[in-house]
Amino acid sequence: MVTELQGIIGFEGLGINAWLVWILPFVGASLMPAIAKAGKRVRDYAAVGFALASAISALTLLPLGIHGGQIHSQINWIPMLNVHAGTLADSLSILMANIVAWISLLIFIYSIGYMHGDRNLTRYWFFMLFFIGSMQLIVLSDNLLMVFFGWEGVGLASFALISFWYHDRKKDFVGSPGHYAGGIQMWASPSHAGLKAFLMTKAGDIMMLSGMFLIFGYAGTFGFTELLQDQSWATEMANNNLLVPAAVLIFGGAIGKSAQFPLNEWLLEAMTGPTPVSALIHAATMVKAGVFLVARIGPLFFAVSALNSSQFFEVIAWVGAITAFLLATQALVNPEIKKVLAYSTGSQIGLMMMALGVAGLSSSFVDGYTSGFFHLMSHAMFKASLFMGAGAVLHGVGSRFMTDMGGLRGKMKKTFLFMMMAGLSLAAAPFITSGFWSKDAIIASVLESGYQYSWALFAIAIMVSFMTAFYTFRMLGMTFFGNKSKFIQENESTHHVHEVGAVMWVPFAILAIASIAVGLIGFAFEHQLHEMFSLYLENSFGIHTASLASRDVLPQASSGFEAFEGLNPIAVTASVGAFALGAILGGLVYMKKVISPEIVSKSVVSRAIWKFFYNRWYLNTVLYWGAVIGPLALFRIVWRYFESTIIDGINPGLQGTMTYFSKVIKAGQTGIAQTYLFVFAAGMMIIIMLLFL
Amino acid sequence: MTESYYLLIATFLPLLGSPIAYVLAKKRGSNATTWFSFGILAISTTLLFIASSNLHGGRSAYVESYTWSQFGNFGLRLDGLSLQFAIIINILCTVLALYSKPYMLHKIKESFEENFGKKGGDSHSDPGSYKSNTGGNEMESVTISGSNEEQYVNHHMGLYFALYLAFSMGMLGTVLATNLIEFYVFFELMLVPSFFLVAFYGYGERKRIALMFFFWTHAGAVVLLLGLLAMGLFAGGFDYDTVRENVSKIPAQWLVLIIFSLVIGLGVKLAAFVLHIWLPYAHSEAPTPISALLSPAMIGIGAYGLLRLWLELLVGDYSQYSIYINLWGLATMIYGGAMAMMQDDIKRVLAYSSISQMGYILFGIGSDSILGISGGTFMYVSHGLGKAILFMMAGSIILQTGTRSMSKLGGLAGRMPYTAVIAMIGALTIMGIPPTSGFMAEWILFNGVLQSGVTHSDVLRVVAFGLGILATVLSAAYILWMYKRIFLGKTPEKYANIRDPNRYVTVTMAALAAITLILGVYPNPLLNPVTEYIHEMFSTDNTVLQFGNINSVGASLQNHSELVATAGGGS
Repeated sequence: MVTELQGIIGFEGLGINAWLVWILPFVGASLMPAIAKAGKRVRDYAAVGFALASAISALTLLPLGIHGGQIHSQINWIPMLNVHAGTLADSLSILMANIVAWISLLIFIYSIGYMHGDRNLTRYWFFMLFFIGSMQLIVLSDNLLMVFFGWEGVGLASFALISFWYHDRKKDFVGSPGHYAGGIQMWASPSHAGLKAFLMTKAGDIMMLSGMFLIFGYAGTFGFTELLQDQSWATEMANNNLLVPAAVLIFGGAIGKSAQFPLNEWLLEAMTGPTPVSALIHAATMVKAGVFLVARIGPLFFAVSALNSSQFFEVIAWVGAITAFLLATQALVNPEIKKVLAYSTGSQIGLMMMALGVAGLSSSFVDGYTSGFFHLMSHAMFKASLFMGAGAVLHGVGSRFMTDMGGLRGKMKKTFLFMMMAGLSLAAAPFITSGFWSKDAIIASVLESGYQYSWALFAIAIMVSFMTAFYTFRMLGMTFFGNKSKFIQENESTHHVHEVGAVMWVPFAILAIASIAVGLIGFAFEHQLHEMFSLYLENSFGIHTASLASRDVLPQASSGFEAFEGLNPIAVTASVGAFALGAILGGLVYMKKVISPEIVSKSVVSRAIWKFFYNRWYLNTVLYWGAVIGPLALFRIVWRYFESTIIDGINPGLQGTMTYFSKVIKAGQTGIAQTYLFVFAAGMMIIIMLLFL
Repeated sequence: MTESYYLLIATFLPLLGSPIAYVLAKKRGSNATTWFSFGILAISTTLLFIASSNLHGGRSAYVESYTWSQFGNFGLRLDGLSLQFAIIINILCTVLALYSKPYMLHKIKESFEENFGKKGGDSHSDPGSYKSNTGGNEMESVTISGSNEEQYVNHHMGLYFALYLAFSMGMLGTVLATNLIEFYVFFELMLVPSFFLVAFYGYGERKRIALMFFFWTHAGAVVLLLGLLAMGLFAGGFDYDTVRENVSKIPAQWLVLIIFSLVIGLGVKLAAFVLHIWLPYAHSEAPTPISALLSPAMIGIGAYGLLRLWLELLVGDYSQYSIYINLWGLATMIYGGAMAMMQDDIKRVLAYSSISQMGYILFGIGSDSILGISGGTFMYVSHGLGKAILFMMAGSIILQTGTRSMSKLGGLAGRMPYTAVIAMIGALTIMGIPPTSGFMAEWILFNGVLQSGVTHSDVLRVVAFGLGILATVLSAAYILWMYKRIFLGKTPEKYANIRDPNRYVTVTMAALAAITLILGVYPNPLLNPVTEYIHEMFSTDNTVLQFGNINSVGASLQNHSELVATAGGGS
């Protein structure tokens, strides 16, 4: 094993930890079937134990990460092709690894309560551990090929866990039965949802692979550090106009995995999975893999391109902005609690993408970079908490529709309290929530970027903030405020609404409290993060303000230098305003019930808009007609008129011809000697004539 | 040249064992003959591994050569190229020998009941046309010997394994051959037993289908033979080495014809688009263990033939035709995948999937780059393992439920967990998802295709790459859709109590699944030899894209491209 360690003195011995973080969960997953034989309790605790072990390994790396150190160790993998396997633990990946590890540990504990009594828990734990392993592999790999291994691993785990309840019972579906949009049914079974998620992310994956191949073709390596050391490949690619396409293709993978427009449709059906799965995979970690990938390769492309790679960052920013807006509008009208959260997840990830894109467009790369990652962190905390809270509600009520809930505030006090805290963070309640600080940082970085169309991005971000506050209050209002729904009253005799046990509420309480705690020290926290990433970007990529001056940047950008001298007043005012407007409106409609939501159906225009949002902008419809029904119809035509008719017709046709010839020959075989002699003589004469003429 | 006989024994031991297997079945029953066949094949596989230890990378080879006839020497050659084909063929044959036991017992008992259980049954075989043929004879000779079930079963198990061993000998011999005529003889030798296996133990209109299988592949082989004869006659000898050395003696206009006949002849075997007529029938109606050999092991030999007979022997003429092979592969890939989507019969899905996967191999072989060709070759390994697992899955479902129509199945994952898990690994292999060998093959293959397109600034190739990699989504779609219809969803009432089949089935499947996982993470044992070999093969041919990055290749190609640029007057 060739190991090279470049860390702060005293940390050399920890190289193995970086490996253990992702190897331990895989080991745990592969042992799961064997451990399950020892009893259910042992199995559940063993799974949590492996998650804990992985989290502790990640924690031991944390001091190194904060101080800007780095562990990079490599072994030979496919020497023929100059491909190495290795882990690269630097500030970015160590921080991300800790987020993933600790949130997954909490969700594992929550799972013990939520999944209690399920018959297939061995399978559940297997894929959950397999997921953590793959996710940490994405985070800690030092090359794109290994990232891709993890990438497909999380995709596989996601597929298996979305269709975890593969018997397709009606209660495990998502969507409102009977809801059609443009002839396409808008509700889905778990097995269907799993298939959809897998194929849609696969469409992103092939783009990522193509981009990787292009880079491998020019650089001859997949390694992040190797790509940085020798940058001639980038010049070569830029000369051939391939650098930006390759980068955008890799970003295609992130689009698929992070459910960004136009590959956003799978995430909503992914809610058929058990709630802890939604919390872990489809909110806190896996869908962030795309953001992480951009954070991983973004600085690389920023650093290596002497020429302008700003188109790449422009694509990122706009894809993020469009997604943020698109999914926020859909969240406004959806009746299912988990789907509202799913739309919200996609929308918030859009904001993160926007921040990372803006980073590359601005003079001060680190501002956008920090704000994007900060939002990733705070979103991971409050969204995981909200999902787990939603799971507790589902557990208590027994229906996925918010219209079947209402007035739960009294019965589920703890869930209410902590969901309220996390919800405030999502809605970005000013000055006390982490969500506020991170979103504010994004808005500020957009404003200060100096990008030509930053005003448009700013406007979108503000609209999204407004809608976020509104749908969060709508969700909380419909669930916890008002009167008990008819559904609850009807079922009161058989199913009593109840608070969940400590094993379930403690995990999401921790995350909700953490998101408020980070919020209270938000500004200082952000500052620390900013410093850490400045150090990281400078050490690893050589991106620093001094060198930026020499870059060909837009002239008005110089104002960005003092970004951290204080808060950006426009950003703060705008985001506070957006929150206030959204929260007050949402509160009035759904908590105080002063305004009836029926108001929407009064006017034709608002009804049409509502329907447009409710039908998901008809994107799902377009997807199914274009990518499923259309091709299948084409294949059917080919099958019927080419394969079954022409190709299959060859054999009988051949047989028929043979039979015909044999009949002709048979007709000649009369058995009469004179005939034979006659034919023979005629033949001879013809030959003789041919010879002599 | 060594004085050892590893390959000779490895190849002909199964043939020697073939009659013994029959006698053993008659005397000792099916258990003995199963384990006997397994043992023979295991020895053969072990010998291959021993022989492979003599390889030292590059074009180094382990050869056993014997004087034969006026055609030249009879040799057996294990090198970087034949190694992986030989190993996969033998591993599949060995493993499937055990798998055959429960499956064939079930099948033969079923046909016994059909023939003797109710008089005048036999609704399967088509009336008339074949009564007097060999196929009919075997079945009827048993009728005379009495309707004792055990005797009937033993006779047929013996016959099955006798043919099975001969079949495996044919396949192994083909890839080890060192002489054009020897290649052809083995090529036909593997066809004959497989014809009988389909004709005796198949489903549906088995005799008609077996004949069709025989007719098409034989026609292909004859076209191939014409090409081989021309090659040998012009080069003045049929030994591979002689041909390779004297390739310049072949007149150019003949060379085109030879290449054409090789591609068509082997294309039938590969079931490339339009020449695939026989495959969906033969693969879906063959007894399942034989499907699992026909599909991944046998048809891929067509690819071996292309590599060995064309790319290696006819040096220098590859690059200019490669694009056609590439596009043909693309068409095959997409067409096979599209047709697989239309099927309801599990085995037919897999049959069309095989066509599609052969398209991948052709796509790689036509890539005009070493990486692409190596990836295409490694694809044989991964397709072999993955498709064998999936056919075994189909067999296990036929065993337990008696049907292979997916519309009648559903939700079996809970009833047959082992089958479901292992089938998933097989499915991942075919879809090319890590950590299975499928991904290793696919990324190298597609990488090569793209690099070749980019380096030569060939828009057609780049577009072909785009469509090709899109076809992997199609592959994922049909495989997962099939999986969903079999294993997920609601279980029909009828199958509420079915279970996994016995260990002969599950353990053999698991063994293959383990191999694909290991090769997916650590492909070097099979990938290195072939990559090195192909690298060496083209070391003199500058037109084929070499290893490494485009930069350094660009340097070596620079003179070439500069010439082109000046000639074309481009900037």
